[in-house]
Amino acid sequence: MASFREQTMRIAIPNELAALPVATATLQRFGADNGVPDKALVQLQVALDEIVSNIIKYAWPEGGSHELTICLTAHRGAVEIEIVDDGQAFDPLSVPSPVHPPKGRRPRPGGVGIHITRNLIDGIEYVRTDGENHIILTKRYAGCVPPERGLDGQ
Amino acid sequence: MASNSLNIAESRAGMICIVALAGRIDSTNAEQLMTRLNSLLSSGEKAILVDFSEVIYLTSAAFRALLVATDEAERNTARFVLCSVLGQVRELFEMGGLLDAFTIHGSREEALTRLG
Repeated sequence: MASFREQTMRIAIPNELAALPVATATLQRFGADNGVPDKALVQLQVALDEIVSNIIKYAWPEGGSHELTICLTAHRGAVEIEIVDDGQAFDPLSVPSPVHPPKGRRPRPGGVGIHITRNLIDGIEYVRTDGENHIILTKRYAGCVPPERGLDGQ
Repeated sequence: MASNSLNIAESRAGMICIVALAGRIDSTNAEQLMTRLNSLLSSGEKAILVDFSEVIYLTSAAFRALLVATDEAERNTARFVLCSVLGQVRELFEMGGLLDAFTIHGSREEALTRLG
């Protein structure tokens, strides 16, 4: 069985939407370096945008400068993203799916982002510990080998 | 183009204003799209076609911008349609339950014919 070394990268961003591209660009580079297929990578970027933008908008109703940390881990055939913030407790899994509008009416925005994330990602976990929210997204994919390391992990 | 940028290009086909989007529409730039669409509508455009053929992905922030523009178009009795919503972008519309929320044509040509 070929060996596979887990790769991890951690970044911190301020609670500003303008900082979000730093996170998605970092994920893009990390995914490319670890052989994550394009489709899975796009799905991860959408999910990361949805979760992080939600945190930035709602986690600190009192405002102020805060920091989020994002930890990316490449496993064999899967990427895990852990997002940690010290804002108010919020479990994204508690958000109900959007209600279908009555026939002939357009849907209203709201709740769609979390719903899309649930569909894009294979696993979402939420843990509240030591005054921090931890959201862990897992995306599995098939059949790619990190381009720069090869099957023997070298 | 920077990896997270959105490019918005406008052109005309007769009375139809074509808004061609390229790149990623996310939480950081969806507001820019909403402002542009609303400004076209408030300047009196009566037929707007938004072309998604070069969009890599979009998030719920983009859906919000499109829903707001659709409402605004309705108030202004303008036609507001989308085209070339394909592949992964189409899947995202589907996941959001929003494929039926907009008038979507398969290609720019088809949309121009229908609007013309």
